[in-house]
Amino acid sequence: MGNYLKKLPSFVDEIRSIRETIISNIVLIGQIPAPTFREQDRAKIFLERLADFQVDECTTDAYQNPIGIIRGTNSSRPPIFVVAHLDTFFGKDVDHNYIITEKSIIGAGILENSVSVGVLASLPEIFRKLNLSFESDIVLAGVVQSIGKGNLCGIRHLLKSWPSSIRGGICIEGCELGRLNYYSDGMIRCNLDCNISSNTRWEHHFRPNAILVINEVVNQILKMRLPQKPRSRVIFGKISGGIKHGLIAHDGKLGFEIQSTSDAMVKAMMNEISDIISDVSHEYGVNLKLKAISNLSASRLKYNHPLVKNTVAVMETLGINPVSEHSVSELSIFLSRNIPAVTLAITKGKNYHLENSRMLIEPMFKGIAQVIGVLMAIDSGVCDE
Amino acid sequence: MCLWLLIVVFVMNSNWLKNKTFHFSEFRDLNNLVKEKEKKNLTISLCLPTLNEEKTIAKEIIIMKSELMMRYPLLDEIVVIDSGSKDKTVDIASSYGADVYNADDILPELEKHKGKGENLWKALYVTKGDILVYIDADIKNIHHRFVYALLGPLILNDEIKYSKAFYDRPIASKRNIMRATGGGRVTELVIRPLFSLFFPELTQIIQPLSGEYAGYRELLDKIPFPIGYGVETSMILDIYEKWGLDVIAQVDLEKRVHRNQDTKALGRMSFVILKTFFYRLEKLGLFESKQEMFNEMIQYNLVKNNYETAIYSFEGFERPPMIEIQQYREKFNLC
Repeated sequence: MGNYLKKLPSFVDEIRSIRETIISNIVLIGQIPAPTFREQDRAKIFLERLADFQVDECTTDAYQNPIGIIRGTNSSRPPIFVVAHLDTFFGKDVDHNYIITEKSIIGAGILENSVSVGVLASLPEIFRKLNLSFESDIVLAGVVQSIGKGNLCGIRHLLKSWPSSIRGGICIEGCELGRLNYYSDGMIRCNLDCNISSNTRWEHHFRPNAILVINEVVNQILKMRLPQKPRSRVIFGKISGGIKHGLIAHDGKLGFEIQSTSDAMVKAMMNEISDIISDVSHEYGVNLKLKAISNLSASRLKYNHPLVKNTVAVMETLGINPVSEHSVSELSIFLSRNIPAVTLAITKGKNYHLENSRMLIEPMFKGIAQVIGVLMAIDSGVCDE
Repeated sequence: MCLWLLIVVFVMNSNWLKNKTFHFSEFRDLNNLVKEKEKKNLTISLCLPTLNEEKTIAKEIIIMKSELMMRYPLLDEIVVIDSGSKDKTVDIASSYGADVYNADDILPELEKHKGKGENLWKALYVTKGDILVYIDADIKNIHHRFVYALLGPLILNDEIKYSKAFYDRPIASKRNIMRATGGGRVTELVIRPLFSLFFPELTQIIQPLSGEYAGYRELLDKIPFPIGYGVETSMILDIYEKWGLDVIAQVDLEKRVHRNQDTKALGRMSFVILKTFFYRLEKLGLFESKQEMFNEMIQYNLVKNNYETAIYSFEGFERPPMIEIQQYREKFNLC
């Protein structure tokens, strides 16, 4: 373990010395809008950049995930994957032109997840700068269709269709530096639509209000008794409805996630919520439609897994304090296929999901060194045990 | 006879448009450009004139430095000439490694003037390149093609000494709203009608007012520079008059996103351009004014039901060809 750990602190300065190249990649790729299901333009630029950096093989898989493969020195070793999702929350009509100041980069999607994609495209040049080669092939994948309704389809397809075994994986996200994910909860992501029929007579004095109906559903869900073990929860994340202040709302939408460390509990909670919704629908005489748009199985590495232990060592060597919590990301797909993997974040920032999202430049160099440290750990065999 | 002449002119014009109009993708092979640059022993300077450009200057410097200095050694220096920015433009540009100058500190013994043309002229003194590339510092979607595509014709074609950008130029008018305009508004309403009246050949230049152009020092130091907005117009007219249209090329850079200007600001820009243009017409004997033109652009603003006058003064000062400046001749051993 010690050999590569010793080198890491010096990597930070070396990586900083090519900051212009890294920032250029972040900007040139990140300024291309990539809403989920419409990532093709960004994928094309990502591939162009990889090809421009003389990556050995640049291609797309059948699902249009752009991939670059840096050939390793030992063809008998399975490949190591480094992945970042290409898609962002922002539509093509949002201004994606970034502003760079002395210390930060500001713009839509910079933390979720343009900085990671830019860093991914910069890794070949960073390896050259650090004079690094690996035994395994390094697969750099910008995966499509991750967020929301994308349901992690890109990474699911990529791993499912990969023809050989995979040695290990690193998922990279924008922030917050120190993030170390090595387990994911079971999850079902749902949309609830409430539509009041337009056939309801206008003189009806007790016409149902979609917002109040959804409110009733929320109240009923909040009354559910959730166990502390397995740890379980319902997160209400999105709500919308109605047209204007003085008009009874004809429609409403609620977005929520059921999360638990137990897949059986997720299923049980889903059944209970379905019953609640049927009951409210019947009571109010309205059409309530529940749709599961995404789901994940609970999966985890143990804290004493060599990959986790070595990742913690890498972070601590670089002065990064590891903070662990569950993750709903590409990590889940790696772990569900029994491929050891972790999720790491590149830098610090704020306004994570807003159009004026801001990433700090300086912490990024440590964040990249950390990714390289974990890559070296996997290449040295920590996932092979 | 007249018809025959018209046909000849038309054929000549068509040839220029066909032969001297390029697309940036023709110059994507940066290794080839670097190879030719080195073969010809050329040095190249990028100049960015600035005034309060803190939101865009870093991006321009970083991308050019990464792509055209560190990865492909096409540029030998990046120079920022600032007109006295009140924001962080100077600090940011310095922090990313550009050579930053305050325009007033260059050739300080000369009378001081403020303006883009002044900065471009003074760049000739502080830079060392055989070729200078001038790029506006307010481009939101900057890409290194803005520079390499202008250099392509100059490096690969011995006849071409000056290249000019044109683009499909969306304007960021309001949040989320982009609209394609073809040429800029001042180009279509002022310059193109004037060119059509006096220099029809020059109408083939799609965007004569574009702020991105590159040229050999041996040309640029032999022409005068108006200190303000008129510099693009005068540059084209002077190069055309001295060396002809065939030393000029134009390159399609596709999309450019820039800051929008209101109609009144464009009116002031047009005023300066018109003055520069008529001054040159007089010099060439193509136009005679019965009276001296005024130096003030008068505009009106409605303030609380009263019309208030806003007067913009423009002296029309021009710097002489840099080659006539003694300090320049000494610095470049031209004495």
